[in-house]
Amino acid sequence: MSDFSRREFLKRSVASGVAGGLVLAGMNRRAEASAAADVGTVIDLTLCDGCVSLPLPACVSACRDKNKPRFPEPIENIGNYWPQKKKEDWSKKRDLTDRLTPYNWTFVQKVQVEHGGRDHTLYLQRRCMHCDNPPCADLCPFSVLHKMPEGPVLIDHDLCFGGAKCRTVCPWGIPARQAGVGLYLKIVPTFAGGGVMYKCDLCYDRVKAGKIPACVEACPRNAISFGKKEEMRSRAHERAKEIGGYLYGENENGGTSTFYVSPVPFEKIHAALLKQKANQAKPGLPGFPGTPVGVENMTESANGIAWTMAIAPVAGIAAAVGAAYKTMKGGGGDVE
Amino acid sequence: MSNDRGKIKRHGLSVILTHWLVALSTFVLIFSGFGQMPLYGRYMVDRIPGLFWASDFSVTLLIHYWAAAVLMGAVAFHLVFHIIRRDFDILPRRGDLRESGRIILATFGFGEEPENDKYLAEQRLAYVFIAFSLLLVIVTGVLKVLKNLPSINYSEGFALWITLLHNIGTFLVIIGIVAHLGAFVFKANWPLLPGIFTGSIDREYAKERHGIWYRRICGGKEP
Repeated sequence: MSDFSRREFLKRSVASGVAGGLVLAGMNRRAEASAAADVGTVIDLTLCDGCVSLPLPACVSACRDKNKPRFPEPIENIGNYWPQKKKEDWSKKRDLTDRLTPYNWTFVQKVQVEHGGRDHTLYLQRRCMHCDNPPCADLCPFSVLHKMPEGPVLIDHDLCFGGAKCRTVCPWGIPARQAGVGLYLKIVPTFAGGGVMYKCDLCYDRVKAGKIPACVEACPRNAISFGKKEEMRSRAHERAKEIGGYLYGENENGGTSTFYVSPVPFEKIHAALLKQKANQAKPGLPGFPGTPVGVENMTESANGIAWTMAIAPVAGIAAAVGAAYKTMKGGGGDVE
Repeated sequence: MSNDRGKIKRHGLSVILTHWLVALSTFVLIFSGFGQMPLYGRYMVDRIPGLFWASDFSVTLLIHYWAAAVLMGAVAFHLVFHIIRRDFDILPRRGDLRESGRIILATFGFGEEPENDKYLAEQRLAYVFIAFSLLLVIVTGVLKVLKNLPSINYSEGFALWITLLHNIGTFLVIIGIVAHLGAFVFKANWPLLPGIFTGSIDREYAKERHGIWYRRICGGKEP
């Protein structure tokens, strides 16, 4: 080490810096810019009457008719999620229309809320909000959910393993699971996987073809508007201002493509929905979302430290240069 | 070079610290990474006292990020430190595959083990396997972190591939760890163990099994 010069040290430092930078190679890769969530919807609660004169709200019927060919057809004898003694099988309850299931991708909630000295009866069409930065898609362990450039969030039913993490990380618990169907059956069905997740895809095929979603088309009172997302946002703001009402979905979960307009604060609607859920025969069942106001996106805290993480390799490199210099100059660096 | 007559220095403090930081962060990453799959709730790991948080994705995700930062820091340190010092003893050499075969056969009593440098040929190959696996996991992990940011959205195929490669990389790392620890099933390798804790190993063992290295660091003379 005696012939080791400062110049040589600097030369090696630069060379190693380049190699060390390879650790950060991914940081240099330009990711495809986030596609602006192009389309969106406004759901006007002052217009929706839940189609009370019909056996089923028109939006729900249209959704079921349109998506029926894609509803799951599970195997006969569905095993439990070992070691648990349960499984999620909705196939015998295909007619359920009062919650989200793998066979019912949208439904209408009826709530009665007092506000401003008046009793309001409201109907909320519920389905996937198609978030701007969907945690379901970000955190799926197999990346089988995806935010499309046009805005809708889709599930790849062929690759979904049915772990239902997407439902857990969704503030509204939207995706619904059907056991006994999908890829997991071909791997180790007893020990891993739970089926396939299903939810609204905003009629992506129709949107791609320049049409409007089936539920929007079916609504007899034009309570659901569909169009360019920014136009929908403006429309929702205008409508809320017009009625002195409230907006939901613009900021929730970091922003969504669905804007609800209501004459009643959503905190009150949320409280009423929670009360309804608590009074259901099985309050623990999924598929009956509330309207938590200002709910945070689950990736927010992790995203908050993402750039801080970049300091770690830089610190590692700086410490390495210092340590290498010390050990080499000190003459005690024969063995490291 | 040596800290007492019967011992010889094999690793410096930097190497020991780096090894344990990589090991610790990797174990935390594996645990929190498996936590990203909905396993701990189903398999009731979260019912083990003290592990109630294991099935909370928001907790395991944060742990995963912090452990990844430690791993990246340690790996960057390792690369830069050894490149500057030109310590390349652990990189594979021509003929290492065949030499590994001879070492393994000798372990089972067939033939004689070749004379070794600081690391056995199989250790050099194992290093490359683990290093490749960790780099695969790090690069795909960084891409996954970027994917989670609100301003970034990958194409469907790209997201699927990086996730698949991240998961494959994880299994390669686990295989590497099992093989690394599995080496210590054989008694012949036991004398190497103190090296990664104290930095020193038995001088006679080094002389006998790592003759090339021993002669090099002793300058051909008996110290």
